[in-house]
Amino acid sequence: MRKETDDKLLQAARKIVSQCDRCGTCLPVCPLFDVNSVESSGARGKNVIARALTEGGIEPTPEALAKVNFCLLCRACVDICPSKIATDDAMIHIRQYLVNRTGAANTRYKAMGGILKSRGMVKLAAGSLALLRRLGLNSIFPHGMVPEEYTRAHFLAAFAGPAVLAGTAPPSGAAVTAATRVAYFEGCGMRMMFPEAAAETLDLLKAGTKPLVRDNVCCGLPHLAHGLREEFLALARKNIELYEDADVVVSDCASCGGTLKHIASYFADDAQWKDRAAAFSRKVMDLTEYLAKAGYTPRQKVNATFTYHDPCHLSRGQGIRKQPRDLLRAAGTFVEMKDADVCCGGAGTFHMDYPNIALKILDKKRANIEKTGAAIVVTGCPGCLIQLAKAAKASGGRFKAMHISQVI
Amino acid sequence: MIPDDIKNRIRDIVGAENALDSDLDRFGYSYDASFVPLFPANKPELVVRPATTDEVSRIMAVACEHGIPVTPRGAATGRTGGSIPLKGGISMSLERMTKILELDVNNMMVWAEAGVRTIDLYNACAARGLFYPPDPASWKFSTIGGNVAENAGGMRAVKYGVTSNYVMGLEVVLADGSVLLTGGKAIKNVTGYNLTSLFTGSEGTLGIITKALLRLIPMPKKRGTLQLMFRTLDDGCNTIHQMLQSGLLPAAAEIMDRFCLEAVAKHRKTEHDPAIGCCIIVEIDGEDDAALEAQARKMEAVARQCGVYRFRVAQSQQESDELWAIRRGLSSAIASLVPNRLGEDISVPRDAFPEVVRRISAIAEKHKLTIAVYGHAGDGNIHPSILCDLSKPGEEERVHRAVEELFDATLAVGGTLSGEHGIGITKRPYIAKALGEAGVKALAAVKQALDPKGILNPGKIW
Repeated sequence: MRKETDDKLLQAARKIVSQCDRCGTCLPVCPLFDVNSVESSGARGKNVIARALTEGGIEPTPEALAKVNFCLLCRACVDICPSKIATDDAMIHIRQYLVNRTGAANTRYKAMGGILKSRGMVKLAAGSLALLRRLGLNSIFPHGMVPEEYTRAHFLAAFAGPAVLAGTAPPSGAAVTAATRVAYFEGCGMRMMFPEAAAETLDLLKAGTKPLVRDNVCCGLPHLAHGLREEFLALARKNIELYEDADVVVSDCASCGGTLKHIASYFADDAQWKDRAAAFSRKVMDLTEYLAKAGYTPRQKVNATFTYHDPCHLSRGQGIRKQPRDLLRAAGTFVEMKDADVCCGGAGTFHMDYPNIALKILDKKRANIEKTGAAIVVTGCPGCLIQLAKAAKASGGRFKAMHISQVI
Repeated sequence: MIPDDIKNRIRDIVGAENALDSDLDRFGYSYDASFVPLFPANKPELVVRPATTDEVSRIMAVACEHGIPVTPRGAATGRTGGSIPLKGGISMSLERMTKILELDVNNMMVWAEAGVRTIDLYNACAARGLFYPPDPASWKFSTIGGNVAENAGGMRAVKYGVTSNYVMGLEVVLADGSVLLTGGKAIKNVTGYNLTSLFTGSEGTLGIITKALLRLIPMPKKRGTLQLMFRTLDDGCNTIHQMLQSGLLPAAAEIMDRFCLEAVAKHRKTEHDPAIGCCIIVEIDGEDDAALEAQARKMEAVARQCGVYRFRVAQSQQESDELWAIRRGLSSAIASLVPNRLGEDISVPRDAFPEVVRRISAIAEKHKLTIAVYGHAGDGNIHPSILCDLSKPGEEERVHRAVEELFDATLAVGGTLSGEHGIGITKRPYIAKALGEAGVKALAAVKQALDPKGILNPGKIW
């Protein structure tokens, strides 16, 4: 059984990476290659390692796993590749294969996966993080695990001058009918790290509908990305069941949204779940995607300048670039930053696994944000927000980092 | 085997983090963008990533002392295996040498380190109104050092020439570690042998190019793109020939045959009009819009005489970029259609272009193979791509015979094996045919003089 699964994983990866002719187009866009220019860090290097694993030539070892784990899954390479080779999918398959084969399933990811698998644990963790923040102890935790949260109240206090009144936006002409059953998917990152922003999302949804709130479980991306595929599938089944009566499932986390939209492809061979998974994936919308469809206009127009960081899983992952920018233009002044869609270095647990590399990537992002002169950098992903909050701190208060739900 | 004490000496020179010897890291430096098989892997024993000429020089001194093979490497985007460390030893990756050292606006020249990406050099010069024309298809990710070592061409060669036309001088670390400076900023320079030309295109076999002095020209003020569709490849070839004969000089003229167009359509999920058997994308440049307009009109007149099927002028920068993106992505689009693709790089006198294209299709037919043809119609450099599945019985043999005949046909019309990719590993078996015995002997004599121990990129060219 295991052997059969391994073969399937290898075949899936081989189908992808055998299309790579090693031309090198991806080299300049890979944020990791940009940091150290070592071949195995770039997309080409990792695709060739994957190919060697599938064709024989490299043995499945923990060292090989370490090489394929060193990937942000940011899809910058996929975007630029002339053959559109899905390096991220290949890495996910190969990670799973190597975890199966080496048995070395990263204890750290297992522990984290275990916490995220249980809703109770996530709530508990959220509670302790909030407590740490209240006690001012968050700064002693490494790598921004307990990021500072700049709240909507802070934001309005700082920017809600007379401009707010003068520029009050007209009420939303939401196109969503009363009959549309809109549900909120509260991701672990939002719940644990940015509860205030999650509450704002819910408020936004309440403006046009009566959102269904479910005790959803983790989207499963952390499990899928680190060789815990069975756990991912179990979580997915639970979420599919939970939202069966909803018409639309809104996510305010780019990674959750992206994952949920792709769930269908992981059940394609499962007669029992195939249709239900496909129906579920079709219902998922990013918050900004939903708001644009609903014709939402921001609650206020403030005298603040925003810039926007594209989460990888929203821009390249879901093709959503315009909606958040339109919303920000309506909520204040918007300035585009250079390389807005280059990964911030967060990438799930990457910033904890490789803090120095992640910091180098983030420094470039910070410089690009500072150059815009914007007071606030906005994004739509808690993972990015952790990084951007660190950048905001490093900038010495030149800008703040906020979730889009907090400023519109 | 490089003993540990020598590895440690090298680590002392470049720092431990820049001398990699784990199995997977070495594997990463065992391939390039050629069709040389990945396995058995040509792994170097040590990957060394120097940051300065001094470091390169000290590493070469160590390598020379102990007879360790050294293969220089830029971004490993070459198509003939030039940077593959065939005999193990050291892979000398110059990707950390990324400084543009001096942009001399007065003399219109630039000194750049080997690891500078060509596009970065282009942009830095463009910001000052200066133009570095060579644009190999890989210009966004390949490096200047590699471009010079392979004497890379590109699409603009028809009007502006190739890399060697812009190299004024080089800094080269020789096999024994000594540092040589060739050429200089003087435009006229006949002092001694022209060593700059000797090292340009030497594929890392004579020395390690660490810096290049490149000539620049004023940036053309305006650029435009034309797309010409023809019913047959012959019509397309004839049109370019007539344009050049009537004094019209496009900045680039790229031709693609029916198979290429079908590959692009498949790649982009669009429909290909079966009436179209050839497409040419032309770049024109000039002083102002009026100059472009005049060129475009004259070219249209020639094309109409030659029976053009469709003639289109790109109306916006975006449209222009899209047309060129098709051409730049073509090689990979074709490669992704079949299990194996052997891309060649023959180059013929301009007026022999239609003839050699006809001979290629005859060879394809004879061996029952698909050979996609695209290339630089303006300068006679063609990239016939043999599409095949080498796992099929008998296929490999037929492919080899076709390649032989392809080279014979090329030489017969006065052409040569490689226009811009170099000889490397993949064309090595055919070099004597192209150069003759005396030619190969002369190469060997030069090699013997500069690298008597044969440690620089062994196993390449001949």
